[in-house]
Amino acid sequence: MGEEKSEFLKGTLDMLILKVVALGPIHGYAIAQRIQQISRDFFQLQQGSLYPALHRLEDRGWLKAEWRTTETGRDAKFYGLTPRGRKQLGTEVENWGKLTDAVALILRTAE
Amino acid sequence: MRWYQRFFRRELTERKLDAELRFHLEQQIADYVAAGMPPDEARRRAQQEFGGLEQMKEECRDVGSAHFVETLFQDVRYGFRQLRRSPGFTVIAILTLALGIGANAVIFSAVNGVLLRPLPYPNSNRLAQAWSTNPHTNRWGDWVSYPDFVDWRAQNKVFEDLVAYRTWLANITGGDHPEALFAVLASSSLFSVLQSQPLLGRSFLPDEDKPGHNRVVVLSDALWRSRFASDPHLVGKAVVINGESYTVIGIMPPRFRFPLNLPEGLPAPSAWLPLGLDPSQSDRGSHNYRVVGRLRPGVTVSQAQADMEAIARNLAQVYPADESLGVKVAGLEENVTSEVRPALLVLLGAVGLVLLIACANVGNLLLSRAVTRQREVALRLAIGANRSRIVKQMLTESVLLALIGGGVGLLLAFQGLSLLIKLAPSVQRLHESTVDGRVLIFCSFLSLATGILFGLVPAFQASRTHLNEALKQSGPSRRLGSGPRLRRMVAVAETALALMLLIGAGLLIRSFVGLSNVDLGFNPRNVLTAMIMLPESRYSAPNRQAAFFKEAIRRIEALPGVESVAAADSVPLVTNDTGSVSVEGQPEPTLDGVGIQAERPKITPGYFRAMGIPLLRGRTFTWADNEISLPVAIVSEAAARLYWPNEDPIGKRVSESDESEGRIVWRQVIGVVGDVRQDGLADKVRPSVYTPLSQLPMPFAALIVKSRMDPSSLADPVRRQVMAVDKDQPLFSIQTMQEVVADSVSNRAFQTVLLSLFAAVAMTLATIGIYGVMAHSAAQRTREIGIRMALGAQKRDTLRLVVGQGMFLALLGVSIGVIGALALTRFMSSLLYGVKPTDPMTFIGVSLVLAAVSLVASYVPARRATKVDPMVALRYE
Repeated sequence: MGEEKSEFLKGTLDMLILKVVALGPIHGYAIAQRIQQISRDFFQLQQGSLYPALHRLEDRGWLKAEWRTTETGRDAKFYGLTPRGRKQLGTEVENWGKLTDAVALILRTAE
Repeated sequence: MRWYQRFFRRELTERKLDAELRFHLEQQIADYVAAGMPPDEARRRAQQEFGGLEQMKEECRDVGSAHFVETLFQDVRYGFRQLRRSPGFTVIAILTLALGIGANAVIFSAVNGVLLRPLPYPNSNRLAQAWSTNPHTNRWGDWVSYPDFVDWRAQNKVFEDLVAYRTWLANITGGDHPEALFAVLASSSLFSVLQSQPLLGRSFLPDEDKPGHNRVVVLSDALWRSRFASDPHLVGKAVVINGESYTVIGIMPPRFRFPLNLPEGLPAPSAWLPLGLDPSQSDRGSHNYRVVGRLRPGVTVSQAQADMEAIARNLAQVYPADESLGVKVAGLEENVTSEVRPALLVLLGAVGLVLLIACANVGNLLLSRAVTRQREVALRLAIGANRSRIVKQMLTESVLLALIGGGVGLLLAFQGLSLLIKLAPSVQRLHESTVDGRVLIFCSFLSLATGILFGLVPAFQASRTHLNEALKQSGPSRRLGSGPRLRRMVAVAETALALMLLIGAGLLIRSFVGLSNVDLGFNPRNVLTAMIMLPESRYSAPNRQAAFFKEAIRRIEALPGVESVAAADSVPLVTNDTGSVSVEGQPEPTLDGVGIQAERPKITPGYFRAMGIPLLRGRTFTWADNEISLPVAIVSEAAARLYWPNEDPIGKRVSESDESEGRIVWRQVIGVVGDVRQDGLADKVRPSVYTPLSQLPMPFAALIVKSRMDPSSLADPVRRQVMAVDKDQPLFSIQTMQEVVADSVSNRAFQTVLLSLFAAVAMTLATIGIYGVMAHSAAQRTREIGIRMALGAQKRDTLRLVVGQGMFLALLGVSIGVIGALALTRFMSSLLYGVKPTDPMTFIGVSLVLAAVSLVASYVPARRATKVDPMVALRYE
């Protein structure tokens, strides 16, 4: 993965993870894949940022973790959203909306 | 999982983290293989993408709160190991910190005990003192007349209640020996205002204030124990005070004390009696009482002040005696501690500076250790530790040091506090100071703050280590970026702080020397004083009082070794009677519109001889000057100069009687004597007008015995002679005059000794600091010096090079210190006598001393540097 490609804006990684996890319990590798697919390869998630972020969100009580067996019969750590995490996601999405609207507004009118 | 679960199940957590990351890796490989890559290639690529596994794990661990506690334990364990590894450093650092923190704990205990601790009465913050003020003559100080008190009490809306009280010297007899009783006469509201109740029995009833109902007494626990052997049935029994019978109604708890702010040298009161005064019979002009009140809840001192002022204005219009009187209200706590507050705060500041210097020294030690540990830090950085982790670990180490130092310091504080209490016996409430919870909290906080303060700089410095450079170096490294500069700055700061302390101590020492050289006006050598109080019940006739003293003096004079004996109602530096003096044919002498207070001692004929006060003109009193002869007086030089400038005072007439007493008795001046410091060594000499005790008899007097040898051996013979005159007559406060003089400056001695001690510690620490920096810098420049000498530099040049650098630092420190001292010493001006806070002698002298000491501290390492063999130095690499 090229390092120059695209850095996450600070704080957006947490929101994206919460969003992906909100769809249902999922393990770390799948989260990375999902983000990459949905963003059409725009975001290339590095493990170096993914796992610390997952542990951080878990420590804050927004994610809960559970060991389960995958379809291929392997043990993996599945992350799910806690009620507090769901609330947090709501706030972050709302903030994000406001932010992008504001930025878009500036870009439009300042021309 | 909760953090503590994670903490206790660390192994499991580690394994799970490992499993999670491995799963990711293998999943990736599987995907690559599925996409058609050869397995080997897939594994290599996945691993490459995955990056540093250990570093990622470290970051994952870092996020948890368990991690904080966990690494803290790790760091503490590691810190202990580090400290054990260099015991020399550890011991020096801990001792330095223990000294600094211990000294702070001691002074803080004193500040806590004296200034911060509430008074020993419930809700004492609502207690206030009120007193009459007289802007015109300033005559009454903080005393109040009884009728004024009664009006204040009836008319005010701000106090729940007020109490008026005065001290009373009496004798308690019955039992095997007579004993002087130091008692308090108070209105019956005393115990309700203080919200304090007896342990046994009851307090005063409201009715017991009335004349005739006041024959009751509440005793102190100490008196109950010492004189009545803790008799549990004492309440209800009668005791004999001044020859009259009083019923004991209560015994106070051991810790009860009232009043708290008594003149120095007086014992704690041991009995409280109702005043039993009829307000209508009392004179509004005689101000004999102190007043304490309990403010209503929510009323502030300034509200009380406003209300009382309105009452005082009212009274001033109604009563001529109150015409020019105002009133002042002040919190009792503030009033009790006002005298010692400045000294304690200066000492607290000083001891804070000592701690700063101790911090600087330990910080310096840590900086030099940081140099040697640079490789360790670099190695840890290289294998994946992040910098904040390194800073945290270094800080843990220094906080650990500070906490151990604080613990040892606390042990020192227990010792130091008892020493301090012995040093300053007369500081109010100091003897009750203890190392209590508040001191412990203060100490812990101080240790933590200290550890962070002296640890922060070396820690950040270590974390800024440049990996490559540090790892490349073979031996202990030489070029260390900002290290040496930092250490030099610390040395400069230490010097500046030490200089400030030294100047403070120097000013106090100069004040003290000045005070010790003050001409007392009397000769305290071989003089014994003992006080005596003749009860009015048996000595109501004035001539009986005079006869008692005459007979006692005659008997004591006959004792072997006694030179001369006298009695006086005033003893210099102990008791005095000040008031206004009228001069015949002159208006009342004033200074800036305020009446001049004069000393008015009543004495027996031998007084001037016994005290060694020189007679300058005329004659002294004789026993022939008695109640039926011509009223006479002797004036001091200052009085003569003030009342009759350029005139002969002999034959002029003065009067010490108050106008309020109705008639004026004019006294003819028969002699002039030398001036005496009656009030205190630091106070101005006041004019004195002496009168014969036999013309103005007093129930209270001090016996003054001048002997040919150490007078303390005379205490018992003198007591026996007094008891031979009257077997019920006790003596109290038996002291030599030399003790009296020493006591009068004991508080100053205490401040001076303590501040000098702190300054000495500060100077020692600062010298060690400068020496350390210079020695280190000289050692680092060994190679450079070797080259210089190989190229032909003389020893003298090398010496100048190193010493010059040391002196530059010292002078920089001294300059900063002088500026700091100029800013700070004015806060101690109330502690000084005869020197200005900016006394140039002290500033210059102290700066020179510190500069000289720094010269030595940099000369020693400089000399060592010049002894280096150039060849050895060059081969040093």
